Amino acid sequence: MAEPMSQVVASMPRGRFLALMALFLGPSVAVYTLFSIYPLIATMALATYTTDSAGAYAFVGLANFVTLLADSVWSKPFWNAAWNNLIFFAVHMAVQNPIGIALAGLLSLPGIRFKSLYRTAIFLPTMLSVVIVGFSWNLILSPLWGVAEGALKSVGLGGWFAPWLGLPSTALATLALISVWQFVGIPMMLIYAALLNIPDELVDAARVDGLGNFRIFWHIKLPLVLPTIGLVSVLTFVGNFNAFDLIYSVKGALAGPNFASDILGTFFYRTFFGYQLQLGNPTMGAAVATVMFFIILVGVCFYLFVIQRRMRRYAF
Amino acid sequence: MAKLHIDALNKSYGETKVLVDVDLAIEDGEFLVLVGPSGCGKSTLLRMIAGLDAPTSGDIYIAERKVNALAPAERRIAMVFQSYALYPHMDVLKNMTFGLKFTGVPAAERERRVAEAARMLRLEPLLKRYPRDLSGGQRQRVAIGRAIVREPDVFLFDEPLSNLDAALRVSTRVEIARLHRLLKATMVYVTHDQIEAMTLADRIVVMNQGRIEQVGKPLDLYYEPANLFVAGFIGSPAMNFFTGRVERIEGGEALVTGPCIGSVAVPAATFSPGDDLTLGVRPEHLGQGAGAFSTSGMVELVERLGEASFAHVRRADDRLMVAEIRGRDTPAPGESVTLSAPAQDIHVFDARGRRLAATPVNSA
Repeated sequence: MAEPMSQVVASMPRGRFLALMALFLGPSVAVYTLFSIYPLIATMALATYTTDSAGAYAFVGLANFVTLLADSVWSKPFWNAAWNNLIFFAVHMAVQNPIGIALAGLLSLPGIRFKSLYRTAIFLPTMLSVVIVGFSWNLILSPLWGVAEGALKSVGLGGWFAPWLGLPSTALATLALISVWQFVGIPMMLIYAALLNIPDELVDAARVDGLGNFRIFWHIKLPLVLPTIGLVSVLTFVGNFNAFDLIYSVKGALAGPNFASDILGTFFYRTFFGYQLQLGNPTMGAAVATVMFFIILVGVCFYLFVIQRRMRRYAF
Repeated sequence: MAKLHIDALNKSYGETKVLVDVDLAIEDGEFLVLVGPSGCGKSTLLRMIAGLDAPTSGDIYIAERKVNALAPAERRIAMVFQSYALYPHMDVLKNMTFGLKFTGVPAAERERRVAEAARMLRLEPLLKRYPRDLSGGQRQRVAIGRAIVREPDVFLFDEPLSNLDAALRVSTRVEIARLHRLLKATMVYVTHDQIEAMTLADRIVVMNQGRIEQVGKPLDLYYEPANLFVAGFIGSPAMNFFTGRVERIEGGEALVTGPCIGSVAVPAATFSPGDDLTLGVRPEHLGQGAGAFSTSGMVELVERLGEASFAHVRRADDRLMVAEIRGRDTPAPGESVTLSAPAQDIHVFDARGRRLAATPVNSA
């Protein structure tokens, strides 16, 4: 296909054209290179070195990655963190996004009162600092002075209470649910905006066709907002595999109990900066960061080339 | 196929009254067109018949059955929307059968109905296509097909042609008229286009500000408009209006004088000397030369359409009037002209805008 080109551009001397390109694209390329591309390449480069006790760097090729993935001292915590991260992501996909979609569907129904109040209230936690959210939930769920146990007792469910954040079996899921509680407003807002885009006449046509509110949502609205749901999923994926702050603020860098809530972010933090008895190791840390980058890259590429290509955006 | 009956229907949003005491009876198989300026309540009325909006008060009967509390799908209606409202993620076939699935029509019956509608609307080659691959006219045919397969008692059309270009609008209009003859179905059709109204309707309902101004056959509305609003709304270019006052009544005739009309004799009716009147004359009835009714002014603009030309003439009261002039001999801008009309083509309205019935009209 021939590129459409204006007469002005076509008759321009090549040097002048390149100078114009540099003028328009230069600033953003410079900023992007300085703050995104350079650190990324520098990190990858650092991952191919190692340091001795004197602090001297030596090139070792891919040896750090072999150590990370094959040496059980490194690989066991790495795979533990990677697996936990996958569970963390799965909880978000299974709980946060369906609830976000359902809330958006409810908000888009005609004749709902206090719509903007609900919208604001549900979105509010997203605007809070993760540290404050983590601290608050730590207090709420504390078996010593938390309100959770008393609240459950008051409705006769006191027996259900357990120190969820302290048990290896439940700590990770509990943290994931806290994160869901905080961020459910984001999928809700994005999908709500997409739902508002669907013309009223389409919904009217479905009502004349005999569909009730639920079927209209399921058969008409949901298929039309699938592209937005895909976008929400990939944002969730990227956010979850970069997560760190909530675990760190609730459980510290050791991500206890017994690394039950350790995810790649906290694993990276301990590796790179060191924590308590563990010494910081910048080159191994860079290797972990590089692996995290590739995990996210693979996930996003899967979305872009496999999922998004099969989905169609509808113009109304 | 069914009668449709609307009884004292009102709709208001808070203080705003959208419909005021609308009564309407639509015969079995009738093609009724609701026409009026935007905001007159015609679409709201249609949506209430469909069950998409609830009336504030009043009743709607379809086939002698009160449908106020019924959902749209239970009213045995089908609706065609202005934007077509096809489901973008379903092909044409699925668009047409989708609603039937939910109303419990068996698969074999669905196939039969779609085949019939597709043949009627020449949709067969399009059945596997998606709405995005169709032209505007094809989409509108699919939307009509989706209505036909429902086999409804009443078809409702909400400005179905306004998104089409001029040529398609004419051909789709003919198509809808043909379908009506073929299906013999009751149809209610909303438009703001009076040509659509005149060409399609068995009867036209002219609405204004939530009220029905007049219901009647197209030519009855044209020749015997019930009031000033209908007189001005039906017909293009619009009827020319002249104000006047009854001077005296003698011998069955009233002598009316006014700023632009000198004095003119109209048949006496239920008015008395001193009454204010409005006289209306359609552009096609204004000719050059002398006549019972005569007025003059300066030509400002001549629009030549071919079969006729419209002369826009500035009158003594500084308003414009339009005269339709046939033939090649048109006045030039700047020229002074005297226009006249025969007595039987003068419409007389009283001070409240109502037509005075005694006026004989040329409705032949």
